[in-house]
Amino acid sequence: MKQKRRFARRWFLLIGALAWGAPALAVAQEFEKVSGAVREEIPARPLVAAAYGFIWIAILAYVVFVARGLGRVRQDLGDLRAKIDRAVTRVDDRAPRP
Amino acid sequence: MRSVGIWFVAVATAAAVGFLIVPSLILGAPLEPVMGVVQKIFYFHVPSATMLFLSTFVCAGGSIAFLFKGSEAGDRVAAAAGELAVLFGACTLVTGPLWGRKAWGVWWQWDARLTSALLLELIMIGYLLARRYGGPAGRKLSAALALFAAIDVPLVYKSVDIWRTVHPQTTVVPTLDPRMRPAFWSGFALILLVWALLFMLRLRLERARSDLAALRLDAEDLLETSS
Repeated sequence: MKQKRRFARRWFLLIGALAWGAPALAVAQEFEKVSGAVREEIPARPLVAAAYGFIWIAILAYVVFVARGLGRVRQDLGDLRAKIDRAVTRVDDRAPRP
Repeated sequence: MRSVGIWFVAVATAAAVGFLIVPSLILGAPLEPVMGVVQKIFYFHVPSATMLFLSTFVCAGGSIAFLFKGSEAGDRVAAAAGELAVLFGACTLVTGPLWGRKAWGVWWQWDARLTSALLLELIMIGYLLARRYGGPAGRKLSAALALFAAIDVPLVYKSVDIWRTVHPQTTVVPTLDPRMRPAFWSGFALILLVWALLFMLRLRLERARSDLAALRLDAEDLLETSS
């Protein structure tokens, strides 16, 4: 019986403490208006500049990439044609003359 | 002049004129009341996305010709368009988040439009990788991938109407403020001209590579005989 009373008293104290502290918790969670607070503003102009800049740089880089590839292939074609011409001349020289 | 091609010169001239006119039209277009200045990304973001779709369809068309008719020309067209799809896809996927950062407060949202567009870009990157590193079967494997990419295009386009997304719907362009239309359509025409120029340039590279490969085959016998 004595133990039951002690148990009930403990619960009573705990609930009382929570009831006393609850308004304080509620107050702590409320949003307070602060005058002159800094509002997060995302600047638009750098984003627009980055978007346009990216598109034109990407296109320009691609043009350079393709033009370099084209130059390399044309160089290889020229070298190969020169090699073929030399080979044809050699074959002609070896051929028996009438 | 004949080697450069009359069409190439004509398109390049038109694009140069566009470069002079379009920026002033975009600067002169009225500001969108909710988003403000950042909405001006729209004038190049939407045409870039459209070029991604166009490139994917051209790539798929060339791939069909290559797969079912064995057309080498179709394969060259597909290769040129495949690279352009990746280029304009990158432009779309970079400019979109830059716009979204201001409009939505976040760089990225895993919603239907953004995710399906990213998937399309990844398929096209896969196309290029399969083509480059796929070995002897690489061209056929990549052609099959291009068909899957083409199937994804309508899904990307209609995703904003089918699912709830944060992305604007397809009705934005038809219902555009009349004062914004000159800037939009001139920007669209400029990007289309740039696409055509890049396509012609890339196709020329592909033809030159093909000529080189054919000449190498012809030369092998001749060089062996002469040595």
